[in-house]
Amino acid sequence: MVTVGTIVWLASELMFFAALFAAYFTIRAVSPELWAIETEKLNVPFATVNTTILVLSSVTCQWGVFAAEKGRVGRSGSIFQISGWGMREWFGLTYVMGAIFIGGQTFEYAELVHENVTLASSPYGSVFYLATGFHGIHVVGGLIAFLLVLGRTFMARRFTHEQAVSAIVVSYYWHFVDVVWIGLFATVYLIK
Amino acid sequence: MKIEAWTIGICGIFFAAVSPVYWLMSGDPTGTSALVMTTLLATLLAFYLGVVAKQIPDRPEDRQEGEIVEGAGELGFFPPYSWWPLFAALAFLVIVVGLVIGWWMFIIGAGIGAVTVIGWVYEYYRGVHAH
Repeated sequence: MVTVGTIVWLASELMFFAALFAAYFTIRAVSPELWAIETEKLNVPFATVNTTILVLSSVTCQWGVFAAEKGRVGRSGSIFQISGWGMREWFGLTYVMGAIFIGGQTFEYAELVHENVTLASSPYGSVFYLATGFHGIHVVGGLIAFLLVLGRTFMARRFTHEQAVSAIVVSYYWHFVDVVWIGLFATVYLIK
Repeated sequence: MKIEAWTIGICGIFFAAVSPVYWLMSGDPTGTSALVMTTLLATLLAFYLGVVAKQIPDRPEDRQEGEIVEGAGELGFFPPYSWWPLFAALAFLVIVVGLVIGWWMFIIGAGIGAVTVIGWVYEYYRGVHAH
């Protein structure tokens, strides 16, 4: 039941991002000359590395879900023995990777602000920050959700089915945010 | 559950066919973005329902001879009531209004928000519900 609700909600989230994509493409269509100047300032190699980190974090998140489905909440061996990792270790790693992504985004924003691309500088700045910024807020929301799910594993004496379900729905959300970023990355950085 | 997957899947097929036609005939980026995303919306739901249909055995409503009584039993855990969502929503109000009025208000809202979200998520993990 919780998973069905999450998927329906994610489908509606897709429509939220549809509005942002539509705004981006619409403004790009009416001011191509602005795009020619402003997209030159983007640091594509840096964003590519950042994107790779986010995509890989989806993989680590999924390993965490596999561990949760088997009821393995904590690691069975040493922390360096990755094959024995439980949900906590995988989700912890995912959290760190997501946090690195947000750090990278912040760094990139700072660089662009130095080059006078701000929310108010031009229509390009507005749609760039709105689209990537709303995505960034979603990633931060996912990071908070990871902390809450990890907290649940420590709050209860044993790992319940309900906790596994909350881990799974957080992973759905994380994969969704990841896929939206791939779309945004292709839109903002690749086709420029 | 296959029937649900197909019902929404057909909508996905429809939008997948309509989107390129719309783009070629109008050249309008706004509507094309919306149509492409609607295709993805239907695809996401159809994909999910299709996967679940494979994972779970046929439900009573999937079988011709299914009886209503077969649907009885535990569906999941649903709290009888909770006050936390109300306060979480009020905290969110303070956060959003804080964006307009000033960062001081945003920070206060974030603090209240943290308390309400934690209260909501852990409501059935503490006190008499601790397990």
